[in-house]
Amino acid sequence: MEEFQAAEETAFVVEEVSTIIKESVEGVIGANGYQHSRVHQWTNSVVEQCLSQLGKLSKPFKYIVTCIIMQKNGAGLQTASTCFWDNTTDGSCTVRWENKTMYCIISVFGLAI
Amino acid sequence: MAGSDTDGNTYHLRPNYQHKFKPAIVKACIREILREQLSGVQYEPEEVPGLSRALAESIKNKLKDAGFERYKLVVQVVIGEQRGEGVKMASRCFWDADTDSYAEDLFMNESLFCVAAAFGCYHY
Repeated sequence: MEEFQAAEETAFVVEEVSTIIKESVEGVIGANGYQHSRVHQWTNSVVEQCLSQLGKLSKPFKYIVTCIIMQKNGAGLQTASTCFWDNTTDGSCTVRWENKTMYCIISVFGLAI
Repeated sequence: MAGSDTDGNTYHLRPNYQHKFKPAIVKACIREILREQLSGVQYEPEEVPGLSRALAESIKNKLKDAGFERYKLVVQVVIGEQRGEGVKMASRCFWDADTDSYAEDLFMNESLFCVAAAFGCYHY
Protein backbone atom coordinates (compact mmCIF):
# COMPACT_ATOMS: atom_id res chain seq x y z
CA MET A 1 0.00 0.00 0.00
CA GLU A 2 2.95 2.31 0.42
CA GLU A 3 3.03 3.33 -3.20
CA PHE A 4 -0.37 4.98 -2.89
CA GLN A 5 -0.18 8.52 -1.69
CA ALA A 6 -2.80 9.82 0.70
CA ALA A 7 -5.78 11.41 -1.02
CA GLU A 8 -5.09 14.95 0.17
CA GLU A 9 -1.50 14.75 -1.05
CA THR A 10 -2.63 14.31 -4.64
CA ALA A 11 -5.83 16.33 -4.62
CA PHE A 12 -6.42 19.83 -5.89
CA VAL A 13 -6.83 21.84 -2.67
CA VAL A 14 -8.56 25.11 -3.49
CA GLU A 15 -7.50 26.90 -0.27
CA GLU A 16 -3.86 26.11 -0.92
CA VAL A 17 -4.07 27.39 -4.48
CA SER A 18 -5.92 30.55 -3.56
CA THR A 19 -3.23 31.37 -0.99
CA ILE A 20 -0.57 30.92 -3.66
CA ILE A 21 -2.46 33.22 -6.01
CA LYS A 22 -3.01 35.94 -3.41
CA GLU A 23 0.63 35.88 -2.35
CA SER A 24 1.80 36.16 -5.95
CA VAL A 25 -0.43 39.12 -6.76
CA GLU A 26 0.41 40.93 -3.55
CA GLY A 27 4.08 40.34 -4.15
CA VAL A 28 4.10 41.47 -7.75
CA ILE A 29 1.60 44.33 -7.82
CA GLY A 30 0.97 45.34 -4.22
CA ALA A 31 0.02 49.00 -4.02
CA ASN A 32 1.42 49.99 -7.43
CA GLY A 33 -0.80 52.19 -9.55
CA TYR A 34 -1.82 51.18 -13.07
CA GLN A 35 1.05 51.89 -15.45
CA HIS A 36 0.58 50.88 -19.03
CA SER A 37 4.26 50.19 -19.54
CA ARG A 38 4.48 47.75 -16.63
CA VAL A 39 1.25 45.78 -17.03
CA HIS A 40 2.81 43.41 -19.50
CA GLN A 41 5.53 42.54 -17.03
CA TRP A 42 3.07 42.27 -14.12
CA THR A 43 0.74 39.80 -15.82
CA ASN A 44 3.71 37.68 -16.82
CA SER A 45 5.25 37.77 -13.36
CA VAL A 46 1.98 36.86 -11.65
CA VAL A 47 1.33 33.78 -13.79
CA GLU A 48 4.94 32.71 -13.66
CA GLN A 49 5.10 33.01 -9.91
CA CYS A 50 1.83 31.14 -9.43
CA LEU A 51 3.03 28.40 -11.71
CA SER A 52 6.38 27.98 -10.03
CA GLN A 53 4.70 27.77 -6.60
CA LEU A 54 2.18 25.25 -7.94
CA GLY A 55 5.01 23.22 -9.37
CA LYS A 56 6.63 23.11 -5.95
CA LEU A 57 3.56 21.34 -4.55
CA SER A 58 4.74 18.29 -6.54
CA LYS A 59 1.28 17.06 -7.31
CA PRO A 60 0.34 15.02 -10.39
CA PHE A 61 -1.33 17.89 -12.19
CA LYS A 62 -1.07 19.86 -15.36
CA TYR A 63 -1.80 23.50 -14.66
CA ILE A 64 -3.33 26.30 -16.67
CA VAL A 65 -2.97 29.78 -15.20
CA THR A 66 -4.48 32.93 -16.65
CA CYS A 67 -4.27 36.47 -15.38
CA ILE A 68 -6.21 39.53 -16.45
CA ILE A 69 -5.37 43.02 -15.30
CA MET A 70 -7.81 45.81 -16.04
CA GLN A 71 -7.50 49.47 -15.31
CA LYS A 72 -10.34 50.86 -13.18
CA ASN A 73 -12.32 53.48 -15.04
CA GLY A 74 -15.88 52.35 -14.51
CA ALA A 75 -15.96 49.85 -17.34
CA GLY A 76 -17.36 46.39 -16.74
CA LEU A 77 -15.57 43.10 -17.12
CA GLN A 78 -17.01 39.62 -16.95
CA THR A 79 -15.30 36.27 -17.17
CA ALA A 80 -16.77 32.80 -17.40
CA SER A 81 -15.24 29.40 -17.80
CA THR A 82 -16.48 25.94 -18.58
CA CYS A 83 -14.56 22.72 -18.30
CA PHE A 84 -14.87 19.23 -19.70
CA TRP A 85 -12.89 17.07 -17.31
CA ASP A 86 -13.02 14.62 -14.41
CA ASN A 87 -14.84 16.42 -11.62
CA THR A 88 -13.54 14.05 -8.97
CA THR A 89 -9.86 14.83 -9.53
CA ASP A 90 -9.62 18.15 -11.34
CA GLY A 91 -10.31 21.54 -9.90
CA SER A 92 -10.16 25.25 -10.48
CA CYS A 93 -9.71 28.35 -8.40
CA THR A 94 -10.38 31.95 -9.34
CA VAL A 95 -9.33 34.94 -7.30
CA ARG A 96 -10.46 38.52 -7.82
CA TRP A 97 -8.08 41.04 -6.45
CA GLU A 98 -8.14 44.80 -6.66
CA ASN A 99 -6.34 47.88 -5.50
CA LYS A 100 -7.13 51.55 -6.06
CA THR A 101 -6.39 51.63 -9.75
CA MET A 102 -6.88 48.15 -11.18
CA TYR A 103 -8.64 44.84 -11.03
CA CYS A 104 -6.78 41.59 -11.34
CA ILE A 105 -8.50 38.27 -11.99
CA ILE A 106 -6.44 35.10 -11.79
CA SER A 107 -7.74 31.64 -12.63
CA VAL A 108 -5.92 28.39 -12.03
CA PHE A 109 -7.10 25.10 -13.50
CA GLY A 110 -5.55 21.87 -12.30
CA LEU A 111 -5.99 18.81 -14.49
CA ALA A 112 -4.97 15.49 -12.98
CA ILE A 113 -2.63 13.37 -15.08
CA MET B 1 -8.50 -0.68 -25.29
CA ALA B 2 -10.80 1.68 -27.14
CA GLY B 3 -9.42 5.15 -27.61
CA SER B 4 -12.74 6.70 -26.72
CA ASP B 5 -12.68 5.44 -23.13
CA THR B 6 -13.29 8.42 -20.95
CA ASP B 7 -12.80 6.81 -17.58
CA GLY B 8 -9.61 5.21 -16.44
CA ASN B 9 -6.19 5.54 -17.98
CA THR B 10 -5.27 3.98 -21.31
CA TYR B 11 -1.58 4.81 -20.86
CA HIS B 12 -1.39 5.87 -24.49
CA LEU B 13 1.28 8.51 -24.38
CA ARG B 14 0.34 10.25 -27.60
CA PRO B 15 -2.96 10.88 -29.35
CA ASN B 16 -3.43 9.80 -32.98
CA TYR B 17 -2.88 12.64 -35.35
CA GLN B 18 -6.55 12.79 -36.30
CA HIS B 19 -7.58 13.06 -32.67
CA LYS B 20 -5.00 15.64 -31.74
CA PHE B 21 -5.99 19.08 -30.46
CA LYS B 22 -5.39 21.34 -33.47
CA PRO B 23 -5.21 25.02 -32.54
CA ALA B 24 -6.10 26.25 -36.03
CA ILE B 25 -9.37 24.31 -36.08
CA VAL B 26 -10.22 25.36 -32.55
CA LYS B 27 -9.50 29.00 -33.33
CA ALA B 28 -11.86 28.82 -36.30
CA CYS B 29 -14.58 27.30 -34.07
CA ILE B 30 -14.17 30.05 -31.52
CA ARG B 31 -14.16 32.77 -34.15
CA GLU B 32 -17.36 31.46 -35.71
CA ILE B 33 -19.21 31.29 -32.38
CA LEU B 34 -18.07 34.74 -31.26
CA ARG B 35 -19.10 36.25 -34.61
CA GLU B 36 -22.45 34.51 -34.53
CA GLN B 37 -23.42 35.45 -31.00
CA LEU B 38 -21.78 38.83 -30.49
CA SER B 39 -22.17 40.84 -33.67
CA GLY B 40 -24.24 43.91 -32.94
CA VAL B 41 -24.48 43.11 -29.23
CA GLN B 42 -24.11 46.00 -26.78
CA TYR B 43 -22.49 45.70 -23.38
CA GLU B 44 -25.38 45.37 -20.90
CA PRO B 45 -24.17 44.70 -17.35
CA GLU B 46 -27.26 42.58 -16.59
CA GLU B 47 -26.93 40.44 -19.69
CA VAL B 48 -23.21 39.86 -19.76
CA PRO B 49 -22.89 37.19 -17.03
CA GLY B 50 -25.39 34.97 -18.84
CA LEU B 51 -23.93 35.78 -22.22
CA SER B 52 -20.37 34.90 -21.23
CA ARG B 53 -21.50 31.62 -19.69
CA ALA B 54 -23.53 30.76 -22.77
CA LEU B 55 -20.56 31.50 -25.02
CA ALA B 56 -18.22 29.34 -22.95
CA GLU B 57 -20.78 26.56 -22.93
CA SER B 58 -21.33 26.62 -26.68
CA ILE B 59 -17.61 26.70 -27.43
CA LYS B 60 -17.08 23.74 -25.13
CA ASN B 61 -19.93 21.79 -26.73
CA LYS B 62 -18.63 22.50 -30.19
CA LEU B 63 -15.14 21.29 -29.22
CA LYS B 64 -16.58 18.16 -27.61
CA ASP B 65 -18.02 17.29 -31.02
CA ALA B 66 -14.79 18.07 -32.85
CA GLY B 67 -13.31 14.65 -32.12
CA PHE B 68 -10.46 15.52 -29.76
CA GLU B 69 -10.60 12.19 -28.01
CA ARG B 70 -9.38 11.91 -24.44
CA TYR B 71 -8.80 15.62 -24.18
CA LYS B 72 -9.84 17.54 -21.13
CA LEU B 73 -11.05 20.95 -22.17
CA VAL B 74 -11.02 24.27 -20.39
CA VAL B 75 -12.75 27.25 -21.99
CA GLN B 76 -12.44 30.73 -20.61
CA VAL B 77 -14.41 33.69 -21.92
CA VAL B 78 -13.76 37.29 -20.95
CA ILE B 79 -16.12 40.07 -21.96
CA GLY B 80 -15.25 43.64 -21.24
CA GLU B 81 -16.78 47.01 -21.90
CA GLN B 82 -15.01 49.36 -24.29
CA ARG B 83 -14.36 52.55 -22.40
CA GLY B 84 -10.78 53.15 -23.28
CA GLU B 85 -9.44 51.30 -20.26
CA GLY B 86 -6.25 49.27 -20.39
CA VAL B 87 -6.58 45.50 -20.18
CA LYS B 88 -3.92 42.84 -20.30
CA MET B 89 -4.43 39.10 -20.25
CA ALA B 90 -1.66 36.55 -19.89
CA SER B 91 -1.58 32.82 -19.44
CA ARG B 92 1.01 30.16 -18.75
CA CYS B 93 0.59 26.44 -18.67
CA PHE B 94 2.47 23.66 -16.99
CA TRP B 95 1.80 20.67 -19.23
CA ASP B 96 3.06 18.35 -21.95
CA ALA B 97 3.74 20.63 -24.89
CA ASP B 98 3.76 17.64 -27.26
CA THR B 99 0.13 16.78 -26.72
CA ASP B 100 -1.50 19.77 -25.10
CA SER B 101 -2.29 23.04 -26.72
CA TYR B 102 -4.54 26.05 -26.69
CA ALA B 103 -6.22 28.48 -29.04
CA GLU B 104 -7.70 31.90 -28.49
CA ASP B 105 -9.57 34.47 -30.48
CA LEU B 106 -10.64 38.04 -30.00
CA PHE B 107 -13.84 39.74 -31.02
CA MET B 108 -14.41 43.48 -30.81
CA ASN B 109 -17.17 45.91 -31.64
CA GLU B 110 -17.81 49.52 -30.57
CA SER B 111 -19.34 48.53 -27.25
CA LEU B 112 -17.47 45.45 -26.05
CA PHE B 113 -14.50 43.19 -26.55
CA CYS B 114 -14.45 39.48 -25.97
CA VAL B 115 -11.53 37.10 -25.63
CA ALA B 116 -12.14 33.38 -25.64
CA ALA B 117 -9.39 30.90 -24.91
CA ALA B 118 -9.70 27.12 -25.14
CA PHE B 119 -7.12 24.79 -23.62
CA GLY B 120 -6.85 21.10 -24.38
CA CYS B 121 -5.05 18.68 -22.07
CA TYR B 122 -4.50 15.10 -23.15
CA HIS B 123 -5.50 12.52 -20.58
CA TYR B 124 -3.09 9.58 -20.89
